[in-house]
Amino acid sequence: MSLPPDYSNEISALNREILKAQPVDTLQFCANFFLRRLESQRAEFLLSQQHQHSSPRGRGMAESTFPGSNPFSTSPGLATGGMHRLEEEEESDSIGSPTASSFPPSAMDKAQSSTPGEGTFGNFAGFSAPAKGKSTAPPAIGAADAQSFPSNYNLNRRTSVSAESLNPASSANDNWTPPYHPKSPEQQSRLKAAVASNFLFTHLDDEQSAQVLGALQEKPIPTKDIKVIQQGDVGDYFYIVENGSFDIYVNKSGKLEPGPEGLGSKVGSVGPGGSFGELALMYNAPRAATVVSTERSTLWALDRVTFRRILMDSAFQRRRMYEGFLEEVPLLASLTPYERSKIADALETKKYPAGTKIINEGDVGESFYILEAGAAEVYKRGVDKPVNRYKKGDYFGELALLNDAPRAASVVSTTEVKVATLGKDGFQRLLGPVEGIMRRNDPSKMAAHEDGDAVDPLAKST
Amino acid sequence: MATAIHKILHPHSSHSKGERDSSVQDDHEASHDRQDSDMEQRAREDEKRGLMQWEDRKAPLSPGQIDADPDRKMVGHSSSVLRQEDFELVKTLGTGTFARVWLVRLSEPQNNDDRDKVFALKILRKVDVIRLKQVEHVRNERNVLAAVAGHPFITTMVASFQDHDSLYMLLDYCPGGEVFSYLRRARRFNEPTSQFYAAEIVLILEFLHEREGVAYRDLKPENILIDAEGHLKLVDFGFAKKVENRETYTLCGTPEYLAPEVIRNTGHGTAVDWWAFGILVYEFLVGQPPFWDQNPMKIYEQIVEGRVRFPSAMSPEARDLISGLCTVDTSKRLGNIKGGAAAVKEHPWFRNIDWEALYHRKVKGPIIPHLRGPADTRNFDEYEPESANREPYTREMSEKWDECFKDF
Ligand SMILES: Nc1ncnc2c1ncn2[C@@H]1O[C@H](COP(=O)(O)OP(=O)(O)OP(=O)(O)O)[C@@H](O)[C@H]1O
Repeated sequence: MSLPPDYSNEISALNREILKAQPVDTLQFCANFFLRRLESQRAEFLLSQQHQHSSPRGRGMAESTFPGSNPFSTSPGLATGGMHRLEEEEESDSIGSPTASSFPPSAMDKAQSSTPGEGTFGNFAGFSAPAKGKSTAPPAIGAADAQSFPSNYNLNRRTSVSAESLNPASSANDNWTPPYHPKSPEQQSRLKAAVASNFLFTHLDDEQSAQVLGALQEKPIPTKDIKVIQQGDVGDYFYIVENGSFDIYVNKSGKLEPGPEGLGSKVGSVGPGGSFGELALMYNAPRAATVVSTERSTLWALDRVTFRRILMDSAFQRRRMYEGFLEEVPLLASLTPYERSKIADALETKKYPAGTKIINEGDVGESFYILEAGAAEVYKRGVDKPVNRYKKGDYFGELALLNDAPRAASVVSTTEVKVATLGKDGFQRLLGPVEGIMRRNDPSKMAAHEDGDAVDPLAKST
Repeated sequence: MATAIHKILHPHSSHSKGERDSSVQDDHEASHDRQDSDMEQRAREDEKRGLMQWEDRKAPLSPGQIDADPDRKMVGHSSSVLRQEDFELVKTLGTGTFARVWLVRLSEPQNNDDRDKVFALKILRKVDVIRLKQVEHVRNERNVLAAVAGHPFITTMVASFQDHDSLYMLLDYCPGGEVFSYLRRARRFNEPTSQFYAAEIVLILEFLHEREGVAYRDLKPENILIDAEGHLKLVDFGFAKKVENRETYTLCGTPEYLAPEVIRNTGHGTAVDWWAFGILVYEFLVGQPPFWDQNPMKIYEQIVEGRVRFPSAMSPEARDLISGLCTVDTSKRLGNIKGGAAAVKEHPWFRNIDWEALYHRKVKGPIIPHLRGPADTRNFDEYEPESANREPYTREMSEKWDECFKDF
């Protein structure tokens, strides 16, 4: 009679462990081994049981029933807080998402979130109702009904996403400029309004915003019944409606199908000032719906690569500019490139109109400034002429990083100015006290730097 | 010494190809071929013996050994002699967008011991890599995996190789399956379990960022495997990139885990991993990530706003850690600020972690997978067989692209 295979497996596993560990107390080692096996086997068994009993979407999942030592037992702190009863602290309203949606729900939001069980939505493009202009809420849609956390959470494995690779190094060489399509002032302001509530656009500075709006390209839609985007197709463009109107259809299968019913059901429509397909500005994902013209219309289109490249180029240039400015500041001369790039990343851009007193003589200094654009003058009490003038690339207030001494002079903008600024607290949070960094210049104090504040983790030398 | 080991383990890595070719001097075509293939045969056998030796010991390397010149390292080299035929494809372990990962063993094991030794072989078709515009990412993946091979909590790439139309990465097999599966089954982890896994991840990020200058960029439970001893192994370095002190711009990651600066395209670096780490800890403790909506644009809107809400039962330390990590302003984000990973390790939520012992795998993991032998695949799902009709890798493609794959 042969030994049961399970037994043989256990024994050979034990043999391996013994060979590896070479224990002194063999019996104790074996006993421990089997106890560990038992414990882990039981835990796994219970786990799979629990798995079978819960519904596929994890709704109403039972609380853990594991014995004390298992890895999944609810910790004391969480013992009463079932997932389905997750309590929010600040807001007691129950909403569809675990986080607050503080933005106003638009018709399409409701359309999407009130389709429970439609996990397929997860990977598709979104829509936004026009800021102004007509938008007909689809009839089937009720109030943003409360979906209890977590029944709508998609528990499946999540796939990674990626956009085409963007490389600023090459763009610096090939002198890329974004496409420019002229628009009337009215068109400009309409487009501005159309994207005003879209978070992808609200963070843009004036220059980026002008470039993005300039890059929007007019796209006439000659008749009704033209499918501008098709559900399930790859998406490269974002659209804003200039005039005309479009219906939105969603097929439950996740893609447009042939035949008269292939469009699926109508979930909404968009008119002038509305927009659709903005997920295409992030990466290439299948379209969430089919959008069909209902009359002759005009659209503005923007493609992802142009959009992201505009953003990248301006961010890239700004960082290099800041790093360049920082190199000129003697106080910071000993920063490593790594540290400099961290500070450049932390610099905040601020704009002031002409005639603003940016720092005031006698105040306790908090921040350091680099003049990025415009001009400023330096005044000292008791002197009625400016004692100095600042232009692009000049910096001031850097002593504030070092100590709390009062400002030695005032700086007043003579034109509209743009400054890059960083507070002492921000600097210290990133790199520690400036004193430590200055001390590096002084060879007699090198040791102090070596043993503690070596802040460049990429320097392998020490 | 290190060179000696290298010679024993893989005397015919592709870097020594030149030498080998020049040592063959024979005018007779036929005997030339035979001799060449004899030598090649011997080289392959040597190489396979090296693999078996590694698999036998499988002891993690010290940071200094990991950093060694790839030619002098026991693992992570590019092999010019290995072929797919050297391995028997036992079962599919997982599929990604363009890769398939197989459980493999040597197709002609020398003895019973070797028959028991298994690996995971990740196979990528060049055609798909090109079609999906992932050439750059795949190169980064191989190079980063080669550079970090031997770390205790990263799947070791033992070797890589290629043939006419495919790329291969031979990895240590990680039989416990994905943390993702355990998490979904358990719904959520308790604090000690979460702390243990989170702490191992901190060690990985510390190593990648501060020693290698690498941003990982796709942290999520799906990419974290559990090994036979209950420790973590990070897999899928498809988006990993050596960034050092330069920011990078290509959007990549997983929607729920994307950092705000990635969405806004203002340039990103290793700080994105600390953001994702905060999301991960939240998902461990709560069972789902903090930002979620059926419409991905709404997820991104929430991320950029960055307001994390916590279940009232979550401990104050955990909240504090997650808030520190999931801070929109990178100049205030824990992990990215002064101290780097050390500041994360010092956080009170990790009070009970012995970091030294943890690195040396001396702390027992909360889940030890129950396995019947080294080749057990019970922790992996079943996958559809690979479709038979594959797009061919044409001569034109090979002329255009093979240069890009030459490191493999
Ligand atoms: N070393 C390994 N041991 C065991 N299983 C593995 C190993 N490496 C990968 N797998 C399995 O194969 C799956 C796919 O691998 P991987 O994520 O590397 O492929 P990918 O194509 O890059 O994936 P994706 O498209 O999700 O980014 C993993 O999620 C895991 O389940």
